[in-house]
Amino acid sequence: MSQDATLWFAFVLIGLATTLPRASFIVLGNRVSLPPVVQRALRYAPAAALAAIVAPDVLVVAGNFAPLNPKLAGIIAAVAAAALWRNPWLPFIAGMAVLLGLRALTGA
Amino acid sequence: MSVSSFRAGAREGFIGFLPLSVGLIPWAMVTGMAMISTGLTPLQAMGMNVIVFAGTAQLGTLPLIAVGAPLWLMVLTALALNLRFVIFSAAIAEGFRGVGTPTRWACGHLLTDGVFAHCMEKMLKVEDTRWRLGYFLAPSLWSWLLWQVFALVGVFAAGSIPKHWSLEFMASIALLVLLIPMAKQRPMLVAAMVGGATSVILRGMPLRLGLIVGIVAGIGAGFAAEHWHARKEAP
Repeated sequence: MSQDATLWFAFVLIGLATTLPRASFIVLGNRVSLPPVVQRALRYAPAAALAAIVAPDVLVVAGNFAPLNPKLAGIIAAVAAAALWRNPWLPFIAGMAVLLGLRALTGA
Repeated sequence: MSVSSFRAGAREGFIGFLPLSVGLIPWAMVTGMAMISTGLTPLQAMGMNVIVFAGTAQLGTLPLIAVGAPLWLMVLTALALNLRFVIFSAAIAEGFRGVGTPTRWACGHLLTDGVFAHCMEKMLKVEDTRWRLGYFLAPSLWSWLLWQVFALVGVFAAGSIPKHWSLEFMASIALLVLLIPMAKQRPMLVAAMVGGATSVILRGMPLRLGLIVGIVAGIGAGFAAEHWHARKEAP
């Protein structure tokens, strides 16, 4: 098998390893149902997952726990913008401005 | 009548998701650049982008592709990175009641973090099947389009955008903006804090398993907080 064919085969396998978990319960839906207790617990999945994805990005710098960094300041600015104003684009502007501004000031 | 309810759902889903979808743009561009810098040709890069359609799985397997790792390791890594989707799929499955199996496969393929977080609440509440389908498909297909277009931009821009702009930070902002309305409920806030803290503490675990442990811990903490809250308020 040529290297190019192996690569495309790998893409298909990685694609299956993505689509099968995503489609699992959506496709099985009619036949399989989770108990109500599990369904209630699953309501917390998005909040837990979003925080678990974002937290290392803004609290960890080069592998070390370092809460005082420009990214955390940027995130705080974005959260404040989202809490104070309705404009949906503002959190992105505020977050990026604080991140890049602080980096420019500190020369980091 | 059913066509108009599909359209009404699609419109509402799209308009609500539009501002959040800007977070996809830097992710897609960064992924496009990363695929090229791994050594893929533009055709291979866009092929992977269309077949896999998952930023985390693509970025997570690129280092393995770069070193010529065995296929089983790539598959296992992708599965570990995608385990959260089993949870998401189960949580949103009820929202597809009345929808046929082929369409369910298509919707499953298109399920992403952002669309899940945006759509789940109304998918479970609204009765009208056509409305729900439109409400899910409009932001999903928009995400797909943005993902392909801006990955292509990244593929061709690779090397010319300064890395210190940190455009990928907009993805973190988008995810956090999704979290804010949820965190107004106390148990949700607990789930988020425990999930985030666990993920930070376990950041050294291989295959990003710390992320999965963090999600499970967060769900457990949220559920426990809900019980504790209910018992405190009962006489």
